[in-house]
Amino acid sequence: MTSTEAGALAPAPTQRKRPIGLLLVAVPVLLVLWLIIWPIIAAMIQTIWLPTPDGGRALSVSSYEFFVNDPYSRANLAITLWTTGVCAVLLLLVCLPIALYLRFSNSKIAAYVQGLAIFPMFVPSIILSFAFIRVLGPNGTVDLLLNSVGLPKIKSPYLTPWGPVIGLVWDNIPLTVLILLSGLGNVSNQAIEAARDVGAGRIALLWHIILPRLSNSILVAISFAVLGIFSSFTLPYILGPAAPEMMGPFMQRTFRDLFDPTNAITQAVITFGFCILFGLFYVRSVAKNRTP
Amino acid sequence: MSASAKISQPIDWTGIVFAVVLTLVIVVPLLVVGTWAFTNVWRFPSVIPQEFGLKFWYQTLARADVWSSITMSLTLATTVTVLSAIICLPAAYAFARLDFPGRDILFFSFLAGHAFPKFGLLVAIAGIFLQLNLIGTFWGVVLIQLVGTLLFMIWIPVAAFQAVDRRMEEAARDVGASPLRVFWSITLPQAGPTIAAALLLSFVGTFYETEGAWLIGAPQVRTLPVLMISFINNQPVIQYGAVLSVLLWVPSFIALLFARRVVNSGSFAKGFGA
Repeated sequence: MTSTEAGALAPAPTQRKRPIGLLLVAVPVLLVLWLIIWPIIAAMIQTIWLPTPDGGRALSVSSYEFFVNDPYSRANLAITLWTTGVCAVLLLLVCLPIALYLRFSNSKIAAYVQGLAIFPMFVPSIILSFAFIRVLGPNGTVDLLLNSVGLPKIKSPYLTPWGPVIGLVWDNIPLTVLILLSGLGNVSNQAIEAARDVGAGRIALLWHIILPRLSNSILVAISFAVLGIFSSFTLPYILGPAAPEMMGPFMQRTFRDLFDPTNAITQAVITFGFCILFGLFYVRSVAKNRTP
Repeated sequence: MSASAKISQPIDWTGIVFAVVLTLVIVVPLLVVGTWAFTNVWRFPSVIPQEFGLKFWYQTLARADVWSSITMSLTLATTVTVLSAIICLPAAYAFARLDFPGRDILFFSFLAGHAFPKFGLLVAIAGIFLQLNLIGTFWGVVLIQLVGTLLFMIWIPVAAFQAVDRRMEEAARDVGASPLRVFWSITLPQAGPTIAAALLLSFVGTFYETEGAWLIGAPQVRTLPVLMISFINNQPVIQYGAVLSVLLWVPSFIALLFARRVVNSGSFAKGFGA
């Protein structure tokens, strides 16, 4: 989590360059180099500089060729893209109305709605998975209630591709609402009143005044959600189907159960490739809030 | 609010609809889990449990694997938080107060991990750990969780140190206080509450960290969330999972009590790039 006061990294007061500062920041910086930068570089090198049968290593793209030509790997990538896309759309459809309501309402109910929308942040996804199974799983609460009024049981989303979708949307509601709400803070009441004065309706107001000012926040919220959902592990592992599986469980199984680090790391590099634009955009937005 | 203002306010139907839907979707599932935890018998198709009771609390708390994973989770979270504080707080102070070559670029380098999908990065790190024989070890999990705490254990305290009133520090220096004394008596008390919040976040975040612990640690290092995964997948007795869920939620509840105000403030969302 990156909660911070969104202040600038103000210029340090001491004007002399004092290398002692370097010494104080050395350990965390070295950790970033060793455990973030180096693994990413190593992953790319390792997957194209493959061992050869005679004991040496040679440049080769065979592990990527295997991924592209393997129907199962392709199906896993497809289900991941589908899940990420559906979640992103659903998140916007759910969170934008909530954020709009919270921005323009100051009733007591609004405080309750805001509290509820943020609450999932304090529910670990593992507890969410368990609650999902108890409510929507076979003989869960929904089945109990339907049965008690004589209706047939639902077709449970548990262990189908919709299982992770429901779980991931639930899990991502708080931050999406908060980011959109923060963006809506930039829409001034004057702009809205001015548009109302010239007779703009609700839809026109939303389309011409609010959405253009909100587009950057929407992109940030989507980028953050995509980065989290594309390689999510816990929810798809517990709630999703065994095959095809999302990239998170797929990488985990390839690495730990099939003892095939090369192919697992190849899959990781492929997820990096699909997310790189979202990642760079997201990091740029976070950094912009910290610089003057 | 005066009586006339109350009358003139129309009923907030949109709000009521949102409140009802969100209650059904967010609160009810958790209440169902809570109910299961205090249920001795609940057979289909009864809408309410046949028998309430604490039977499964005794049974769950009598299991050795539950206690060993509680101990493991607490040990891990404490170790990671202490290590993170030792290496990050001096660094945060340096970023806030000292000028040194490469200060800005190093400050933003902590964002690097957030440009990549997390589990992919974990797999890449696991590739490195494989060569170092850190897979399945306590310290392997400590390292991977430590990396996860760096960003906010540096960025939040930097903001805290920057918010300290410099005039008070200078005044203390003017009347002859040593730099160490100024840090101890002026700087730390003012920055303290924010730093405490960062430590709490770090502890709770590490306590629930599942993916690194599962990829690097399992099955040798079994934390509470990892045990919960195996309960969900292999345990036919529903109440074990329900009781464990209630136990698991305790640190989050404590965080909820302390963090509500921080989360609701605009600066929190800005930290996520909003």
